Amino acid sequence: MAASSSPYVTLISNDGFEFIVSRDAACVAGTVKKMLDPHSSFAESISGRCTLGTINGVVLEKVCEYLYYNLKHKDEKDVPDMEIPPELCLELLMAADYLHV
Amino acid sequence: MIAGRGRRIRPPRRGLGTSDAVDFDSMWDVLASSLREIHTKNASKLSFEELYRNAYKLVLKKRGETLYIRVKEFEAEWLAKEVQPRIIEELSQTLLLATSGTQMIATANEKRVAGEKLLRALKQAWEDHNLCMNMTTDVLMYMDRVYCKDFRKPSIFSASMGQFRDHVLRTPLSDNPDDQISIAHILNAVMLDQVQMDREGDIVDKSLLKSCAYMLEGLYETEDEDESTKLYLTSFEPEFLRASEEFYRLEGAKLLLEADAGTFCKDARKRVNEEEDRCRSTLSPLTLTKVKSVVETELIKKNLPEVIALEASGVKYMLDNERLLELELIYELSARVDPKKEELRKAVQARILEMGNDVNKATVAATHTLPKPSDQDGDKAEGEEKASEKPVSQQTTAAIKWVDDVLQLKERYDNVLTEAFKSDQGLQTAFSRSFTDFINAFERSSEYLSLFFDENMKKGIKGKTENEVDLLLDKGITLLRYIQDKDMFERYYKKHLSRRLLMKRSISMDAERQMISKMKMEVGNTFTQRIEAMFKDMAVSADLTSNYKRHVAELGDPDPKRAEIEVNVLTSTMWPLEAMAPSYNDGEDRPRCIFPPQIERIKQGFEKFYLDKHSGRQLTWQANMGTADLRAYFPEMKGAKKTREINVSTYAMVILLLFNDQPPGGFMTTEEIQARTNIPLNELTRNLQSLGVAQKTRVLRKEPMSKDVKIDDKFYFNETFYSQFQKFKIGVVTSGNKVEDSQERSETEKKNNDTRGGVIEAAIVRIMKQRKELSHQKLIAEVIQQLTARFMPDVNMVKKRVESLIEREYLERIEDREPAAYRYLA
Repeated sequence: MAASSSPYVTLISNDGFEFIVSRDAACVAGTVKKMLDPHSSFAESISGRCTLGTINGVVLEKVCEYLYYNLKHKDEKDVPDMEIPPELCLELLMAADYLHV
Repeated sequence: MIAGRGRRIRPPRRGLGTSDAVDFDSMWDVLASSLREIHTKNASKLSFEELYRNAYKLVLKKRGETLYIRVKEFEAEWLAKEVQPRIIEELSQTLLLATSGTQMIATANEKRVAGEKLLRALKQAWEDHNLCMNMTTDVLMYMDRVYCKDFRKPSIFSASMGQFRDHVLRTPLSDNPDDQISIAHILNAVMLDQVQMDREGDIVDKSLLKSCAYMLEGLYETEDEDESTKLYLTSFEPEFLRASEEFYRLEGAKLLLEADAGTFCKDARKRVNEEEDRCRSTLSPLTLTKVKSVVETELIKKNLPEVIALEASGVKYMLDNERLLELELIYELSARVDPKKEELRKAVQARILEMGNDVNKATVAATHTLPKPSDQDGDKAEGEEKASEKPVSQQTTAAIKWVDDVLQLKERYDNVLTEAFKSDQGLQTAFSRSFTDFINAFERSSEYLSLFFDENMKKGIKGKTENEVDLLLDKGITLLRYIQDKDMFERYYKKHLSRRLLMKRSISMDAERQMISKMKMEVGNTFTQRIEAMFKDMAVSADLTSNYKRHVAELGDPDPKRAEIEVNVLTSTMWPLEAMAPSYNDGEDRPRCIFPPQIERIKQGFEKFYLDKHSGRQLTWQANMGTADLRAYFPEMKGAKKTREINVSTYAMVILLLFNDQPPGGFMTTEEIQARTNIPLNELTRNLQSLGVAQKTRVLRKEPMSKDVKIDDKFYFNETFYSQFQKFKIGVVTSGNKVEDSQERSETEKKNNDTRGGVIEAAIVRIMKQRKELSHQKLIAEVIQQLTARFMPDVNMVKKRVESLIEREYLERIEDREPAAYRYLA
């Protein structure tokens, strides 16, 4: 149960990469937030490890970057766009849809 | 655009291969079993991501609709098969019986236990359902987000709430189509029952009730979740309000029968507070205003009039016994149901009127029970004796007592107003109106009030601090505010004031001035103008006297025996002369008093001095108002010093000086004295009475010795007179201010009416001059409006004045005008 209160969670891509991110950042993504919701006692919320079966490591890295980026600029206006490599665009879009960010 | 930069966009890899996408049934199986796990609280074995991914895929593959329907079906089945039976299990027979309308056999305790059991089960089911649905919704978030939004379906959460409503609450318990009792009905009944028990003082599990109310609040009639279709509002609340209505109707009737008004009020307030609490802590805040209005109408509004009117303990009783707390309660309750507090106002007004009239009656009784010879036979010469002096002064006392009583009453109600009624504006005006009513109902109020001031100016304020005097005057002024016939008051006040001023009876001129400035503030400038003029006359006279003395000294008149003179020259229009010499009618030339030569000389000297200064004026000597200091020598008096200084009225002085010319032992009859002095007979008798009859000041000896002064009584100089005082005063019987007898009163009234006539005419002319033409109604209205500050003009009187003005060609009737109208003739 200790994992459920730890400030860090692990996000795992479908090709096995693990990203340890802060809970706050992870919760920017709606799906992850629900996944980790302590009220619903799913396996993820207990272990603090989320395996994201639709996202590969490269995309997930970018996603994590975005999560932090979003968290950092949460209350600001006129935030500069984040650099996104065009070749990842579509996959990132799909991941965003899946993760509800 | 991105492609325009020359880079290739990598096509997304087929992460969701076609192979695992199409197999809806197998994926649904996984989901369904997982949902079951969720419902049985075994979620920790499940991977959220997996479920989510499954739902995600299904929705991506356009199977969202099927998924949605399946989930709904699953929930319906679950609720119907698992949840409802569990609740029905908890339903005991007693509850079923109670709700189906059959006899209530169960004891309160059984009922409570059974009810709580049901509520607890429902609460449990509801909470479980909520939790599970939250989780399910989370898992199916993607479906909610994509499918439900696109197809405008209610989210799966609200859909499943609807399932709960339909399959748990609304399903009939039996298959019999006539018997439509469902859990919802029973739930309502049980909740109402619990509330009822709570009202009756039993202890119930409030948090349980609260969660059930909360559940009903969370459910809606339709899936749109419109605020106004909450189950709580549609099914429970109407029932609840109906039950409350019933309860409070009974409660009100019971309380009316059993309790007194104070208890009723306390109870009613307690009930209202309870209901507020209940709504806040047990039911829903939404009901707060509604149930409050139910309590207010049923318990308070419908019963309040009766409570207020309760004979033994109603508002009357509270007022009489200064039950401020209870009055405050009543006030609060009234304020709840009626912003104008009509009932309360009426009751209090009635009581004030009643008490005011009591005071009036008591005063009238006090004045009438006493024998009043002077009133009865109308002959003053006979009536003015010591015996009759007493009732007169008692009448004065009664007058002052009246004012005191009224003031006390006022103070009491002011207290009630501030303490209990929160200085409510409406009630305050109501109070004022009642006071005005009863004060004006008492026809002598202006006279009595003026007497009250008179008494205080003469005696009452002695030894009081400035503040106390101020307070006293303020109180009097408040009463003056209530008096409508202010001109009447002015008349009396002037009369009393003139007596005070001329006889130097007033204790403090400062207080007099203060009083006048207060009146000025209260009633206005015109009112006090004349009174101020009286003060001015007094000041001018003082100057004049000292000037005259200097003048005499300059003349060098060496006569040491010469008497000194102090004169008050009064402007006849400002001073109420008729009040000072009441026995003369206007127009009739008053007989001049014949002064003894030594006085006559001084008088002429002064007249000459005065007329030199102010030509064209006429001086009339008011001997009846003056006083004189005499030094008298009593040859036969015991003791070493045989002279005494006596302060007597001017008439008495004239009489006594006559005896200077008499040989020792000589006498004069009343008739002789009258012939030689020309003092009016009634004044003469009065003076002779105080000189020859009164025990301590018997400077003259009368034969025969009797109380009454007859025309042929003989008077001797009383050489054996003895007084232990070196200086003393022989008062004349009627020098003080006192209540008028009925004859004087009617005279005053007549004069007052004459004055009013003039004032009304003046007002009419003023108005018409300005307006040129005016209808009758408007004219009367304007006249009344202009004059109310001074008095309430009588409409008939106004009409008569208009007639008379038409006769004298100030106005004319406009021909052929309907309604009647007048034109001003310049």
